[in-house]
Amino acid sequence: MHIRDGILGPEVCLVAGAISLGAIGYSLRRLRLDLEDRAVPLTGMLAALVFAGQMVNFPLLGLPVSGHLLGGVLAAVMLGPWAGCLAIAMVLIVQALLFSDGGLLSLGANILNMGVVGAWGGYAVYATVRRLLGNGAAATVSAAVISAWLSVLAAATLFCIEFLCSSHSAGFDSRGVLSLMVLYHAFIGVGEALITGAVLAFVLARRPDLIPTPQPAGPIRTVGGFAATGLVAALAIAAILSPFKSEFPDGLDAVSEQLGFATLETERPPLVLEDYAVPAPEVAWWPGLSVSVAGILGTLVVFAGAIGLAGVTRRHAAPVVVVDGGHGR
Amino acid sequence: MVVSDSGASPQSICHALPAGIRLSLTIITILIAGLIPLEHWPAQGLLLALVFVGLSLAGVTMRYLFRRLGLFLPLLLVFGLSVPVTHSDHAAWNWMISLWLRCTVSFMAGLWLIHVLPFRELLTTLRRWRCPLVLVAMLGFMYRYTFILWDELRRLRNARAARDFGGGPWWRSWSINSQMIGLLLLRAMERAERTHRAMLARGWDGSVRFLDGDG
Repeated sequence: MHIRDGILGPEVCLVAGAISLGAIGYSLRRLRLDLEDRAVPLTGMLAALVFAGQMVNFPLLGLPVSGHLLGGVLAAVMLGPWAGCLAIAMVLIVQALLFSDGGLLSLGANILNMGVVGAWGGYAVYATVRRLLGNGAAATVSAAVISAWLSVLAAATLFCIEFLCSSHSAGFDSRGVLSLMVLYHAFIGVGEALITGAVLAFVLARRPDLIPTPQPAGPIRTVGGFAATGLVAALAIAAILSPFKSEFPDGLDAVSEQLGFATLETERPPLVLEDYAVPAPEVAWWPGLSVSVAGILGTLVVFAGAIGLAGVTRRHAAPVVVVDGGHGR
Repeated sequence: MVVSDSGASPQSICHALPAGIRLSLTIITILIAGLIPLEHWPAQGLLLALVFVGLSLAGVTMRYLFRRLGLFLPLLLVFGLSVPVTHSDHAAWNWMISLWLRCTVSFMAGLWLIHVLPFRELLTTLRRWRCPLVLVAMLGFMYRYTFILWDELRRLRNARAARDFGGGPWWRSWSINSQMIGLLLLRAMERAERTHRAMLARGWDGSVRFLDGDG
């Protein structure tokens, strides 16, 4: 998930870095912390926890690779969007500067994709779903599961946008990159959603007071919250619905795909960026279809997981109304 | 995972540079590597040689370098190879070689930085660069707590290894792993609360003081 240096163009890295700096500054301003506030060590501790939690490997069905927690939504649910964003940003800073995991120049892009979109956008979705479902333990877990899945998809989509905006990526088929990334991350997102949900279910069963209730007139009402919700929703909808649009190639398109897709690619001047930023109508039908199938499958699995986890929490946890543990200000 | 934060005292000529210069040098190197046009990829080789000189000056052993590159290169090679496989023209090969060199230069520059910039010096530099003090304090706490939580995680893993002999379907290990993170979360939050109260009781006002006075 961590973007290495050299993948994105430096200009994109600098712009993403500027946006991330702004987001960190805004988060700090919203928190209005004094140095001796307890939120300071608490945020540091949660960042360390996300970092340590990423060391726990989850086996992937007989494959030689394993996945791990990303933690954006988990941090936002525990600490709120502003401190959650700071916690993820710090995890990424330490990983880049201490372990060379993720690039230095692309640190801004990583913070933007995982910290800002993961924590702000994820929290906006979480708060909205919770407001719809209520304050029960099952509602909390379902909301976190849904927002964790969406946050991974949004991060993948944002990476595609950043990659296609870079000067290095001229010559890449934008639909191909997007569908491949979204396809993979639909599955990675299911893993992230399941882990986030299971961890929260565990915490809710033991210390429900640690998870604050989203404030009714809280961050979601502000412009930033609305923008983040809109962004995440739009990205997710675009990621899921865009393949459907391309599922109906007319006869001419289908023929041109079979006969001349490759030549069409090579005939294009490789330096014209604008050609690739605007999605071309000619696209191989199969990645679109696979993306749709992945989207549907992923949604089904996530919802099944949410319902299952909700059932488990209902059995194990006392049906308490989650009270604010003093985390909200 | 290798913790490379051992250099508390200057060990090499690279450590003697001011911390801000070390940080800026690395970022400029990565920036140059990103700005070299695709068709001029041999220039990346020159940059790679420069970074390599820097690494040897900093006293990075070849063994460490190869181990890190061994973890890093396979993914990069596969990612780069996917381009000429899908686009069969000359530019694709240029793109692949340029990507390989660009990413390797950046990665090795990053390795140089983590080797010559201890975390405490980074915090001091950030403070000097007018980074908000709250953020510096949070970073400091995070760094400190990371090692504590790793110990905690090791204890949890030991306890699990002593009682659990593996086996079972995959969701069982997923569920156990998630519960382990959940338990770690609970212990971490409780520990943060306790530590904070203890710090307040001892007169914590938010400023970290070092004995050698560089804070």
